[in-house]
Amino acid sequence: MTVQRLVEKLGHLLVVLFGTSVLTFAMTLATPGDPVTVMLGDQRASPEQIASLRHDMGLDLPVISRFGAFLWHAVHGDFGRSFFHRRPVLDVILERLPATIELTVAATLIALAIGIPLGLFAGIRRNGVVDRLASLGSLVGVSVPGFWLALLLMLAFSVSLHLLPVSGRTGYGGEPPAVTHLLLVDSLIAGRPDAFVEALRHLALPALTLALPMAAVLMRVTRGAVIEVMKADYVTFAEAKGLSRPRILGLHVLKNALAPAINVAAIEIGVLLGGNMIVETIFGWPGLGRLVVEAIFSRNYPLVQAAVLLYAVTFVILNFIADALQGALNPRLRA
Amino acid sequence: MRRMLVVCALALFAGGVSLVRASEIRVGFTQDALTLDPGNPGVRDTETIIRNMYDGLLTRDSAMRVVPEIAQSWTQPSPTVYEFKLRDGVTFHDGTPLTAADVKFSMERVLSGKIGGQTNPRKDLLGTLDHVEVVDPLTVRFVMKAPWPLLPAMLPFQEIVSEAFVKKVGDDGMVSAENGAGPFRLVEWRRGDSIIMERAPGYYGGSPDILPVGPARVDRVIFKVMPDNAARVSALLAGDVDIINALPVSAMKRVEDSGTARVATVNGTRTAFLAINNAKSPYADKRVRQALNHAVDRKLIIQRLLGGNATPLNGVLSPDAFGFDADLPEYGYDPAKAKALLQEAGAAPLKLTIDCDGASKDIAEAIAAMMQRAGIEAKVQLWETAVIVPIWRDAAKRADHDLFLTSWGNASLDPSDIVMPTLRSGGRANSAAYANPEVDKLLDAAETEIDRDKRKGLYVKAQELIHEDAPWVFLWLPKDVYGVSKRLHGWQPSADGKINLHRAFVD
Repeated sequence: MTVQRLVEKLGHLLVVLFGTSVLTFAMTLATPGDPVTVMLGDQRASPEQIASLRHDMGLDLPVISRFGAFLWHAVHGDFGRSFFHRRPVLDVILERLPATIELTVAATLIALAIGIPLGLFAGIRRNGVVDRLASLGSLVGVSVPGFWLALLLMLAFSVSLHLLPVSGRTGYGGEPPAVTHLLLVDSLIAGRPDAFVEALRHLALPALTLALPMAAVLMRVTRGAVIEVMKADYVTFAEAKGLSRPRILGLHVLKNALAPAINVAAIEIGVLLGGNMIVETIFGWPGLGRLVVEAIFSRNYPLVQAAVLLYAVTFVILNFIADALQGALNPRLRA
Repeated sequence: MRRMLVVCALALFAGGVSLVRASEIRVGFTQDALTLDPGNPGVRDTETIIRNMYDGLLTRDSAMRVVPEIAQSWTQPSPTVYEFKLRDGVTFHDGTPLTAADVKFSMERVLSGKIGGQTNPRKDLLGTLDHVEVVDPLTVRFVMKAPWPLLPAMLPFQEIVSEAFVKKVGDDGMVSAENGAGPFRLVEWRRGDSIIMERAPGYYGGSPDILPVGPARVDRVIFKVMPDNAARVSALLAGDVDIINALPVSAMKRVEDSGTARVATVNGTRTAFLAINNAKSPYADKRVRQALNHAVDRKLIIQRLLGGNATPLNGVLSPDAFGFDADLPEYGYDPAKAKALLQEAGAAPLKLTIDCDGASKDIAEAIAAMMQRAGIEAKVQLWETAVIVPIWRDAAKRADHDLFLTSWGNASLDPSDIVMPTLRSGGRANSAAYANPEVDKLLDAAETEIDRDKRKGLYVKAQELIHEDAPWVFLWLPKDVYGVSKRLHGWQPSADGKINLHRAFVD
């Protein structure tokens, strides 16, 4: 990847960030609702205190200076203060980020482990038993609503079988010292198998709920790609040359069939990193989804702005990685 | 490696089997705390959690009586001066003694109106307090700018912080660090997930009016954040938590039938009502407003939609509030009378829209359906709370709106906190645009009337006038419903939503 390309990509990133900020800001302006009213609720509050609070939040400034102030501070890494949490916005978001990252990685790994092999198998042995079952399964996987699946899994594994906890991210033994803030990693580093298992038990159901729909999509996409590749000329040529089946599959089919799956996975990971409000609410998972949705309802503008910027950066980086991976798998796709 | 696997497998198995817990109470709670700083908690749920780690001068028992806690006794030498004698031997969790200087610091910190550079609306909970004087290490004097009879009712909202500690960690540090004088001290706050507390060994014993006096009766308390109703109920039924709040009506029977848990209810403090736009014609005519009151069958809605968990109200106040007038007549359900009143006022046929938010949609639709029977063409308009509330508080914006299904909380159970904002002309939440100069005079006089009986009389008169004027359709007071494990004792739900576990214990 040349320096020129890198600079180009960086330029794209900046344009995306700026555009997203403007759009989000415009939306917060256009949406009715008042954060001060939400914050105060039914509490006794004098007009002076209300005005003072509005002033703190910058709500009494003209629009242009509010946006200008936001951009200026953002460029310096200061995303403002969340008045609801009484702390800087960045702190609040970064606190909840590891939980979302852990859930995303777990769900993605499960989805890849289920979806891709199934898709490969289904594509290679088209219309076989595995193919039919997998296709049915994937139809169910994309049709089932997330909250229903979550509650069903909770009912089965937590309430009836008592195998897994109902909600939360941790048990109540001591937590391992925070190094990466990813509980699974930290507990291994600290040599605490009990903490590792506890974290795994809490992670299982939310990760499964998110993984199954993703696996369904990955399966279908991979299957389709495998079928396409198997029909290609170079595969026929390889067969004619007398290459063994496993070599054909491993050398040609696998690499080329993975391309669309990578694209899909990149997008899905991006979406998961934004957090999933439904799964986080049902399983009490302390992730970004709940945080940001609550911020929207309470008109916590600085937090919403910062979160959207974070999502934009995430997607751009993920696409970058996906492009690079594509290039690695298929030199013809390299720029 | 192999040993690690074996240990993992054993741990997995052990985790699946319910372990006997060291005495511990777990609360399945709807929200996480926003901050641990009692000076500016922000929302009621945060206060509920903090109140187990920080004690105050005064507190309320589960019957909502104000009782001394860190204060031993208090007197009122003059209408604007209160003197509190503190208990000896009270210490903060770091071992330092709690003295009058800390009380002065805590109050004036809130009174300053700013904490951590951010405006602190809690200042208004101290009313006309001017400053606090230290008389001696165990005596403080509150000096008010003007008489404020509410002070005793409002002081339970304030907790005492350590001056030295706040200076050490700063206002920002107070958000996540804790050093109170309550029965429990913070072990860990796992944001968004749970708050873990343990018994504070040096606890002075708590209020002598809430028995038994002594340290906390359990080793640990954990507030687990569980926003989803189904998950909370499941956790209670599975024995994973001992108390859950906001038990949905639909789950009450399951909990009662479970054998391991029971339902506990208490009169809440949020008065529910339909605000009528008194400034819009034809609602300016009292007869129309009274007709609307006759057009709603509150008892039926309470029975069918709220599972019986609400107390019908003929006025503004909760039956537990100071100055509650029990003799207010009822606007009974009478569609014929409603029709007649509307005809008399020349307002028939009446078309109106009821504004409501998502949570109260079913109730609004039931009310609209009942109004049809009185010949009123009523429909429901759904809004987001953050949008509709400011609309109704602005005279220009609400000009075309008719009715608003809403509520107002009154955790102090003092009429001032509910009648002033919602019914005094110019009140910040006077969505009904109600303005009665006689009522205003009574309410203003009651704000500074020190004599309890006289003050009660003023409020009773005000309630009668408000009842006659019917600026609202009076509805009900919902009960707060909790699910409680049968192994938990020493705790009753409290009207202000507090879950004070000072005396709670488990089998």
